[in-house]
Amino acid sequence: MSWQVHLPALILTIPLLGAFVSIALTKPRLRNFWFTFILAATAVLAFLLWRRVGAYGTLIYVMGGQSWNFTLPSGMAFPIRIIMEVDAFGAFMVLTGAISALASGLFSIRFLDRVHDGNKFVSLFLLLLTAMLGLEVTGDLFNFFVFLEIASVASYGLIAFWRDTPEAIEASFKYTVLSTFVALLFLVGVGILYGVYGTLNMAAIAKNIQVGFLEKVALVLFIASMAMKCGAVPLHMWEPDAYGQAPAGIPCFLVVVGQASLYGMFRIAFSIYGQAFHGSVLAWIIVVFGLLSMFIGVVMAVIQKEAKRLMAYHCISQTGYMLMGIGLGLLALSSPQAMSEFGFTAMKGGIFHIINNAMYKGLLFLTAGSLFYATGTTDLNKLGGLSRNMPYTTAMFAVAAAAIAGLPPFNGFVSKLLIYESSFVVHPFLAVVAMVTSILTLASFVKVFQSGFLGPSKENMTTIREVPLTMIIGMSVLCLMILALSLMPNWALSNLVEPAARDLVNQASYIQAVMGSGLQ
Amino acid sequence: MTIGTIYTGFGYWNVYAWVMFFALGALIVLCIRSTGRNDYEKGTYQDEVFYGGNPVPQDGQDLAVPASSSYWGFTKAIASFYDLLVGVHTGILSDYMGLLIATAAVISLLILL
Repeated sequence: MSWQVHLPALILTIPLLGAFVSIALTKPRLRNFWFTFILAATAVLAFLLWRRVGAYGTLIYVMGGQSWNFTLPSGMAFPIRIIMEVDAFGAFMVLTGAISALASGLFSIRFLDRVHDGNKFVSLFLLLLTAMLGLEVTGDLFNFFVFLEIASVASYGLIAFWRDTPEAIEASFKYTVLSTFVALLFLVGVGILYGVYGTLNMAAIAKNIQVGFLEKVALVLFIASMAMKCGAVPLHMWEPDAYGQAPAGIPCFLVVVGQASLYGMFRIAFSIYGQAFHGSVLAWIIVVFGLLSMFIGVVMAVIQKEAKRLMAYHCISQTGYMLMGIGLGLLALSSPQAMSEFGFTAMKGGIFHIINNAMYKGLLFLTAGSLFYATGTTDLNKLGGLSRNMPYTTAMFAVAAAAIAGLPPFNGFVSKLLIYESSFVVHPFLAVVAMVTSILTLASFVKVFQSGFLGPSKENMTTIREVPLTMIIGMSVLCLMILALSLMPNWALSNLVEPAARDLVNQASYIQAVMGSGLQ
Repeated sequence: MTIGTIYTGFGYWNVYAWVMFFALGALIVLCIRSTGRNDYEKGTYQDEVFYGGNPVPQDGQDLAVPASSSYWGFTKAIASFYDLLVGVHTGILSDYMGLLIATAAVISLLILL
């Protein structure tokens, strides 16, 4: 038996161990080494997990039992204990999140030199990483709620980390109240399904679900709560506040944490409800969330003059592409013809956009962090002419901005092309909104480039120097990922995206992986 | 399957064709540049910014177009839309909560009815 059967557990225990140990590490050098080691180890485990799922199919891991696999007492009607279920979609999300966390962590190390309680930062960061990965590997609805809460609590601390700044406290407070409220909505939804089906396992519920009034109420609660957590318009307003006030490396990480909520929404819509929910209402709700997020997010971004707030609005806008792409896949779920005509292409576009957005949006947030580190501000009215002083940051910003704007040959173009063409089949209006959003995205990043990096040097900016090496390495991780995804789109689609899309669509295999193991 | 070609189901797109296109464009730009004057000297009057014939301000701050002035025409043209949109983004938590409840209510109506 290979040790790799324990990967679904190790991917959670390693960062969790890192979080608890780091609180005791007060020596900066040791703490930084530990932080880097844990992040690198988690990224390696995520890669191995993704590779193993690719080789052996959906992985199941039972926690709290005598063995990691199904050796439950006979006669069980449904699975008990904490069950991890990692299919290709989950593994894809884990890999994306771990890479982003590595880049964000490396970037943050030099910022830790400026605070006296950096070990608390590291501890919260690793706790957030554990929770994010937990959301993506759990096969249990109540555990999903638990990880959602852990992620929320760690996020509150990180957003308010500059606790001497009233704005940071305010941003964290708003997020706390909203998150707590939606977590309660989610918990009520979980309670409803538990009351009806007597189990919390997602596959077991999916196998038995018959959508009646109570199941619909639970679905409303799940969709509303996940829409708020992923920042879909009109539930997005916490996001610019939170991303704008969090320490420089954190928004990059919060992007993938937000995507974990998106994952939750899709897992519930496809794997639990799936075709049991008749009609296209749910799909259209997700598509409309996508349309609103794309357009409102980008038009709000155009008028921002603070780099991190501008990028936060773009984050909302990019989430819209994912919602629309995968929402169109849900629309086609009950019709094999629609799925082959546009549904699967839209899903590929939406899922490819998840990793693309994690990489280029993360890199953009890190470049904004570099500007803050070097100049002490991200106010675009105060910046200017920094391309001469910060050539590496400038080059990487240009790559990320071109990618997010969907300029060929960058990766953002490929995922957007798939979404444009598939959405056009459903209705040309959808494709038009997506394209207008792309144009406005380009416009607002041209503004950032012109205001921050081009133009004459300002007198108070002449002594600015490039950021330290560890920050450049952090940015380079994401920049290299963007270039790799851009230059090898076939590989990315065949190996990363298509297996994830196939597993998300295939509700039967998700159910079979748990319920086919000797359980009824 | 051709290397680097993405088939969308409606057409195809090749990344390397675009890379070659940009490489070719860069080559043409370099060729045109090489035909330019070769008597350029750094640090002379040739380096000076042309500022409409006026003296160039010392501080770049006086030359730069601030970010808040970018796309002035665009935002002015749809000012009423922006007034509405910015007005909704109050920054007040109770408004956020109201929107959350209203959205949940709309989703409920759509799914339950």
